[in-house]
Amino acid sequence: MQIVSGGVTDLGRVRTNNEDSFRIIEPLNLFILSDGMGGEAHGEIASSLAVDTIEKVCSAPKGDSDVTLAGASGENWSEQTRRLQSAVFQANFNIYESSQNHPEQRGMGATLTAGWINGSKLSLAHVGDSRAYLLRTGNLQQLTNDHSLVAEQVRRGIITPQQAEESDMQSVLLRALGAHPEVDVDVDEFDLFPGDLILVCSDGLTRMVTEPEIAGTLQAETDPEKSAQKLVDLANERGGLDNVTVIVVRLQDESKGWFSWLRRDSGKKE
Amino acid sequence: MAKLSLMFESKLVKEVPIGNRPVTIGRSPDNDLPVDNLAVSNYHARVYYEGSRLVVEDLDSLNGTFVNDLRVERATLHDGDSIWIGKHHIKVDATADTAIPWDAGRKAAAPKINETMVLDTKARRDMLQQAAAMGERSQFSPGRMKMPTLVVLDGKVSQKEYVLTNKLTVIGKSPMATVRLRGWFKPQVAAQINQRDDGYYLGTGAKIPIVNGSPIPGPVRLNDGDMIEICGVRMNFVIRE
Repeated sequence: MQIVSGGVTDLGRVRTNNEDSFRIIEPLNLFILSDGMGGEAHGEIASSLAVDTIEKVCSAPKGDSDVTLAGASGENWSEQTRRLQSAVFQANFNIYESSQNHPEQRGMGATLTAGWINGSKLSLAHVGDSRAYLLRTGNLQQLTNDHSLVAEQVRRGIITPQQAEESDMQSVLLRALGAHPEVDVDVDEFDLFPGDLILVCSDGLTRMVTEPEIAGTLQAETDPEKSAQKLVDLANERGGLDNVTVIVVRLQDESKGWFSWLRRDSGKKE
Repeated sequence: MAKLSLMFESKLVKEVPIGNRPVTIGRSPDNDLPVDNLAVSNYHARVYYEGSRLVVEDLDSLNGTFVNDLRVERATLHDGDSIWIGKHHIKVDATADTAIPWDAGRKAAAPKINETMVLDTKARRDMLQQAAAMGERSQFSPGRMKMPTLVVLDGKVSQKEYVLTNKLTVIGKSPMATVRLRGWFKPQVAAQINQRDDGYYLGTGAKIPIVNGSPIPGPVRLNDGDMIEICGVRMNFVIRE
């Protein structure tokens, strides 16, 4: 399956600094997004530390002694998923340690959502309230659970999703990287189909733009980079209250159908 | 200072400020907010400050105290909440309050828009306990394990029952589908079910599923007992405990 991807990050309309970080490592089909928090410029330090650590751990060769599968727990996850999970453990520890060693960084933290595609398998690791979605046959489906207070209240049936959207407590997270030396990481694996699209975004998008709008934008613009930019523009049009970061990863539908040569021809003419 | 406004439908009946003393609500005329209705207990509920939190407490009333839609024994109140007692409701106006309950531990800094914060372990534990307690008191019982299940009634599929344990369940012919459809001309992905915070959502794939007799316009939240029809397969969505 051929994979094309693109990402955009933006300050938004209100903030004075961008605390989001993202990275797409194309040879690995690895994409990482982190939304930092903390005063001054410390949110940026936390999120870039997260992204750097994940890249380093995931791109280290197999059997590298620097990369121990620290605490990565079994279930039946693939080696790739376990490595991604252990990368998140490391990132958490690095941020925590940095804030312990630099008193001015106290309280800094970051969310993290990372996806890693190998063949038709997607490994996902997630902490915080950034999100990963899967757009398949026009249907936008959320692959992650927000680790926010309001989401937890929805899961417990205390408030409705509508109340959660209107709550002034949306920014209260229950889990983030860097708050404690250890962190619970959600990991999951998904089977991908040709034509699937994966969207990873910070809450600066999902709080400004509704899911049907997101799905519509992604279907209207097939170029990943351009569709990411369109989503960012949309978030800014709606007020851009927060930094906005969007990663779009598309699995090209390599049709082997009887008439696929026709389509290939028409592609050349463009 | 915060105040409570007793309303009957859209009519204001009485307004009282909340000071150091609890505000009492009930049918008996010696309450601060007397509510003349047989559905209301003599001493029904009270509202008071606990530290900087505004709290409503039901006093073992017969018909209960509701905050917004939720029956509570005790709950923290926020600006704009409504306390429902019988057919009356009491609007909570806490705009004048300076204390911000959840943020109490934060350093006073220049106000930032929507600054993200992480709850430290203790605050988190307290808040979740409180949330759990509220959950138990309402009709929801998070203690019991719920197992959403698709029970196949009719049609060619790989199993008779599917317990939905994954974030995503694909119904289709694909070998990667959970609910595998058999037979010629069946689509790879006919429909999909996405687990979200508030439940399970059925969405379209190559086909538009029919739920309880009507085709779905987009993702719909499944309710216990829903009947799903897709590609000649009929399934019942049930939540088992």
